Amino acid sequence: MPRISQARDLETLQQHFVAKRERVKTTIVVCGGTGCQASRAGSVIDAVRAELARQGLMQDVVVRVTGCHGFCEQGPIMVFEPGNLFYCHVTPNDAQDIVSRTVKKGEVIDKFLYTDPVSGRKVTKEAEIPFYSAQGRQLLNFNKLVDACSIDDYIAIGGYRAIAKTLKEFKPAAIISEIKASGLRGRGGAGFPTGRKWEEAHEAPGDEKYVICNADEGDPGAYMDRCLLEANPHQVLEGMMIGARAVGARKGYIYVRREYPLAVKHARIAVQQAREYGLLGENILGTNFSFDVEIARGGGAFVCGESTALMTSIEGKVGEPRAKDVHTVKEGLWNRPTVLNNVETWANVPSIILNGAKWFASRGTESSKGTKILALTGQVKNTGLVEVAMGTTLRTIVYDIGGGPKNGNSIKAVQTGGPSGGCLPESMFNLPVDFDALWEAGSMMGSGGLVVMDDKTCMVDVARYFLSFLQDESCGKCVPCRVGIDRMLEIVTDIADGHGRPEQLDLLQELAETVAESSLCGLGKSAPNPVLSTLKYFMEEYRAHVEEKRCPAAVCKALVTYSIDGEKCTGCGVCLKACPHDSIAGEKKKPHVIDTGLCQRCGICIGECKFDAITVR
Amino acid sequence: MLQYVNVTIDGAPVRAEKGTSVLDTAIHFGICIPHLCHIPGIHDMGACRLCIVEEVKNGRSKVTASCTLLVEEGMVIKSNTDKILKMRKNIAELLVAQAPNSKAIQDIAVRCGVKNVRYPFRNEDCVLCGRCVRICKERAKANALGFMGRGKDRHVDHPPGRLMDYCKNCNGCIMFCPMSVTPCGGPMKKGEERLCGQCDSQLNADAQKMPGVCVWCELGKGFQCSRYLAI
Repeated sequence: MPRISQARDLETLQQHFVAKRERVKTTIVVCGGTGCQASRAGSVIDAVRAELARQGLMQDVVVRVTGCHGFCEQGPIMVFEPGNLFYCHVTPNDAQDIVSRTVKKGEVIDKFLYTDPVSGRKVTKEAEIPFYSAQGRQLLNFNKLVDACSIDDYIAIGGYRAIAKTLKEFKPAAIISEIKASGLRGRGGAGFPTGRKWEEAHEAPGDEKYVICNADEGDPGAYMDRCLLEANPHQVLEGMMIGARAVGARKGYIYVRREYPLAVKHARIAVQQAREYGLLGENILGTNFSFDVEIARGGGAFVCGESTALMTSIEGKVGEPRAKDVHTVKEGLWNRPTVLNNVETWANVPSIILNGAKWFASRGTESSKGTKILALTGQVKNTGLVEVAMGTTLRTIVYDIGGGPKNGNSIKAVQTGGPSGGCLPESMFNLPVDFDALWEAGSMMGSGGLVVMDDKTCMVDVARYFLSFLQDESCGKCVPCRVGIDRMLEIVTDIADGHGRPEQLDLLQELAETVAESSLCGLGKSAPNPVLSTLKYFMEEYRAHVEEKRCPAAVCKALVTYSIDGEKCTGCGVCLKACPHDSIAGEKKKPHVIDTGLCQRCGICIGECKFDAITVR
Repeated sequence: MLQYVNVTIDGAPVRAEKGTSVLDTAIHFGICIPHLCHIPGIHDMGACRLCIVEEVKNGRSKVTASCTLLVEEGMVIKSNTDKILKMRKNIAELLVAQAPNSKAIQDIAVRCGVKNVRYPFRNEDCVLCGRCVRICKERAKANALGFMGRGKDRHVDHPPGRLMDYCKNCNGCIMFCPMSVTPCGGPMKKGEERLCGQCDSQLNADAQKMPGVCVWCELGKGFQCSRYLAI
């Protein structure tokens, strides 16, 4: 492997790789992200490769296994370049068909095409799929251009040119002012201006400084950091190199959770390859800049995503947050100045350096610039990773990109920012995705989880779910978070079980406000958000539970009754046989009845009934 | 040579030794900030959050624990604003509901103005203030106690093996444990827990008017309030 010892070598190498790419007639881009692998992308890739070999096409056709394309629901995904033909739900058995018809003859096979759930028509090209075309992708666009395990691919698309440019043209202070001018803010949740963070670390006294990439993403339903690190680890590395140059660090850490085996593997490979090329190590590109990166694996504690807890974890101690009165940019890892940024933040850096701060700042809102990757999940037709310009409204994301509600229900709320984010009602969907706008509305950007809920979701139940998650994940160090969450859960459970008293609602509000202000770390401070935002926007649902002992969404088991609609019931007896509690009685061909005293509200009968005759109220 | 910084606590300008915490400074100057997990001379962990104060900086106030906050030149601290008093009361209420069988915690509840407890009592034996753990580590240098588990499962335990292999029998952990002295009426059985509140008279009329001033109440004795340990 050649060692790149100066910027010119990098250019030559890039030209070489580009030329090599141009000789390829067809590239089959197959998504090998975790989502698609779960739908057997691995065997599809093997089958396609075997088929290509059998038909003697290995010379002209390249199979590029890339990271996540974002449309995980449709996996395994295949895109043919040139032509941008998009196939979804491919199985290993289809390999022969695809190779002999699509690759050889250029035929489009109808059954693999994507059907738009809104209009019902088939779409041939990837770029024409509404899920993609309504987005404004910047970072995610790179994913399908590179094989995550190949530094050559990354160099071919212009990788490591940003660090070369930085070393040649920028002094550390200039890098910082460029990042500051771009308006980049931390993508990890709080949205702290990245440039200011770097500046403080740059100014902090000390020879030894560190940069850390926080890939300890633990929100339920959020996976954008995972996807970025899996798909394009070199971009993250390059971002870290630029950051290290700016603050004067010689050592960096990527803290990635053990539950992300593919991300760990790809990050390791990337570091190894960069070292072999001489892009990490001593005297990078022939300059006096030396930098190396180590991978630190986390055990998967949610709290270790908090910066101080993460640093103690890297130090080998129990991952617990400490008071942050002295910022980590002054005293962080091993009490040295440390810059900790999220994966997405680092990944944004190379493009800013290459294209300039103006280019980056041209998208977004007044206070939030650039794009944000969101993990769209829940009750919408299209789920997956979505990258939009800051300022895009929630409505666009949910209805245009997400395709609107599933199963004809109506959308009630969207939960942004993971477990410690808040739930925003449908009436606020004109809110832009913007750090400050979401914060003011009582929610937060968080790392970018977006869970859509429809009218079959009970907001009290949602609050209970997130509280029980947070109770499990709280480190337990300080009283407000440990005991406070426990008590909030106790109250919310009481309400959901029908034992709620009106005064408990005030207590819940008061307690949530106390926890939000007095907890030790950021996670404790944001933990009451699910409670506070549901209390704010869905008070009537809490009231219904407490005052009328009724669950409007018919979710809370203690408050619902099952009954059979006599007009719809044909007396087929299926529910009677299925009921594990023998609570349904009736004669054949005559409407059945549920004994509410015996009914355990398990919902099995609903699943069995073919006539939609069972109602829950 | 000792360096000093000027700090304003509750409107009183004081000259504090550099490197000390806001809580230590306040106690030194007779300003009462209720606290539980803090022991003078031992590292603070900021677990109980009773000593929260507002730090006013550039017109914005930030709530933080005063035990882990070090004094800085020009710092402005408010320890008994309405907001702080309310939150402190809520935290004290959480604590007393969790462990009513402690004189120290009952005293703190009185001191922080808890009049009734709105949560079901739990009667637990430990509030995880970490006093024993830190005394054992820092004063006895024995490291016989530590935290285990996370969140709900967090508890104090000795390292794997026999406790006797580590423990130096110094009794520090027992002496500093807020749970070792029961309320005056004796231990409360399960189902009989209540807010004691009898020591309300300890806080005399002056104290009600000036909540931030140390009146040498007897309330701190139960858990060795820093005021008592300092002399």
